[in-house]
Amino acid sequence: MAVGWVKRSAAHHAVSEIERVEKAVLETSRMQLHKLVEEALPELEMMIGWAESSDPLQTTPIFIRDAKSISKLTCGPLCSQNLTGYLVKPPALDSVPKDAKPIGICVKGCDSRSLVALIQEKFLTRDRVRIFGIPCRGTVDWRKVEKRVQLLNVKSATVEDDWLILDDSGTTHKIALEEVLSRKCLGCRYPNPVIHDVLIGQSATPRSTDLATTYRDVDAIEKEPLEQRLAFWQSELDRCIRCYACRNACPLCVCQDKCIVETREPRWLTQRAGIPEKFLFHFIHAMHLAGRCTGCGECERVCPMEIPVTLIKEKLNKIMEEMLGYAAGLDPDAVPPLLTFNPGETEI
Amino acid sequence: MAVKIFIATDRLDSVLEKLSTKIDLLIPASLKDDKSAPTGFVPFVPGTAPAFDRQTTTPLKKALLPQVETLLRFEYHKDPQGSPKSSVTVDDQRQVRPTLVFGARPCDVKALTTLDRVFSNGPYVDPYYVERRKNTLFATLVCRQNDAKCFCTSVGGGPADMEGSHLRIVPVDGGYVVEALSPEAQTLLENLADAPDSARDAQAGQIVEEALKRRVGELDTKGSPEAFRKRFDQTDYWFQMINQCLGCGVCTYVCPTCYCFTITDEVENLKGERLRSWDSCMFYHYTLEASGHNPRPTKLERYRNRVGHKFSYIPERYEGLLGCCGCGRCIRSCPVSIDIRQVVGHLKENTSE
Ligand code: SF4
Ligand code: SF4
Ligand code: SF4
Ligand code: SF4
Repeated sequence: MAVGWVKRSAAHHAVSEIERVEKAVLETSRMQLHKLVEEALPELEMMIGWAESSDPLQTTPIFIRDAKSISKLTCGPLCSQNLTGYLVKPPALDSVPKDAKPIGICVKGCDSRSLVALIQEKFLTRDRVRIFGIPCRGTVDWRKVEKRVQLLNVKSATVEDDWLILDDSGTTHKIALEEVLSRKCLGCRYPNPVIHDVLIGQSATPRSTDLATTYRDVDAIEKEPLEQRLAFWQSELDRCIRCYACRNACPLCVCQDKCIVETREPRWLTQRAGIPEKFLFHFIHAMHLAGRCTGCGECERVCPMEIPVTLIKEKLNKIMEEMLGYAAGLDPDAVPPLLTFNPGETEI
Repeated sequence: MAVKIFIATDRLDSVLEKLSTKIDLLIPASLKDDKSAPTGFVPFVPGTAPAFDRQTTTPLKKALLPQVETLLRFEYHKDPQGSPKSSVTVDDQRQVRPTLVFGARPCDVKALTTLDRVFSNGPYVDPYYVERRKNTLFATLVCRQNDAKCFCTSVGGGPADMEGSHLRIVPVDGGYVVEALSPEAQTLLENLADAPDSARDAQAGQIVEEALKRRVGELDTKGSPEAFRKRFDQTDYWFQMINQCLGCGVCTYVCPTCYCFTITDEVENLKGERLRSWDSCMFYHYTLEASGHNPRPTKLERYRNRVGHKFSYIPERYEGLLGCCGCGRCIRSCPVSIDIRQVVGHLKENTSE
């Protein structure tokens, strides 16, 4: 597999050096991030990170080319987006010539697994990216926050210790972080980036170390009788508006404009919006991610209709782990089992 | 004398049930058992709890422009003589039932004026749309629960704007004062409930007064059509504003004023249907030409079109009317927090550069 995964260039070392030295003097991870990016930016084509948006509860991805914008970069539990998809989808990487400088990118633990998967599948070579790894204590699901308190006009959202503190036009809400974390975070085994050039902040303790915790939601559904499972998925998928945000946000859904559910000539899937058509779309997504999905939860996070679509892929991931002992996106040198072809295969 | 009734909160379900014997009802409600789930407009059946406290996730437009509708059914008939020329029969019969939308917000109803310009005011009149439009009445809620993403008064609407509404619903202590604004609406209110007492009537009046004065949103759209034209070719501007866009269909599908559609023939053997379904200008295939050329090859051109259409092309073509009602849905649901108010707001900054 690609060079440079273990062996790093001198430039990488330089960044690590700075990190070690500065760690002591920088008060917050955010300042540490700014400092590191400032040092690295001249060597980078651009930097992909998170910035504050007009909603204090949500960040927005930002693409930085000049030093002026570095101060906008932020990190922490409100940075929920997985940015790695931008590396393989236009216009980020496409617009950048092959001999260009590397692209800097911020990744949480889960996001780093998507990067590994992209490297494994040769969508990316390791030396094309400079990885700013950010150990993660979980990301905030803003919808969970809105379900807990009716918000009118949030002026600020900050995380202090284990609390999310909101100023909603004069009213202060203090909400336990634990209660508003994204579903995927509650079963996360890899909060620390599995691949990185520099690490920012303290390393995080995994919430899960076993399959039972990670796949608790799959197990819970499987305990239900078949009719109830069918009813559950019918009712959930009925809400789908076929907006394809789940597909577009998935860093490993790389077909994009060529996706089978959308091609118009030939038109493989009907335009109807009944449950069978939606079901088919979601199972196409899931099957095309079999053995590739890292469980980053992006497909579920982006869904405007709050459909737990990652759950479908979690089931496949669980099968992969139980039958083949394989979890995607951990080792850039590993070959994903479903990407191999062995005519003499005896196990299946 | 206007006809007014008072519906106590605990009588709402039974009053709606009674109303639903006169006309089909669509109400905003949760789309699953859980009250905090996404909401949309659903046919009322007794027991459906209306969700008046927040903007619905999906818009009202589907009442007039369903996500998928059958325009016609067709069937080919083979000539028994074996002639290769087959004949085709076409059936475009449809049934539209009179419907009352109970509890839409002013922005939702206002949004339909954009659709009207396109589908009913010519030069091309869409019979499917027009028929539904004629058969749909609106009981509109005076809005008291706008949130940080709403900006209706910035785009010509307002929390008490009753343009296009047949009934006005004012939430007061203990229930709702409902007032008929048109003759057909008066008939609907007959024998439903008693008139409000004078205290509630006065309270309703005050609430309407207050809502008429309330400003929601700070976006200034004056001069946007021209500013947009100046920005058109500034790739850097669009890159800065929306490079994080995923090119999904969320903003267009939750938008009450987006009306783009595609038409497909879905055939099985000799029978088929011609469908019209929502399309999105954010999709690559939307502008893909048969030659393979795509005039809007990337998300930058596509998002630019979304802004231009709403804030420049529509107002230029239709006497200043904007193609956005300020409902804020696209802001609430965008997975990467793109805020159309910022994109439009910045159009005017240093356009000379
Ligand atoms: S399918 Fe969903 S969870 Fe899996 S990699 Fe894609 S976005 Fe992440
Ligand atoms: S994001 Fe949600 S609503 Fe959109 S296509 Fe995916 S599951 Fe359906
Ligand atoms: S602006 Fe947001 S909702 Fe609209 S296409 Fe882009 S990512 Fe999707
Ligand atoms: S563009 Fe956004 S704010 Fe305007 S009407 Fe559409 S969804 Fe609402």
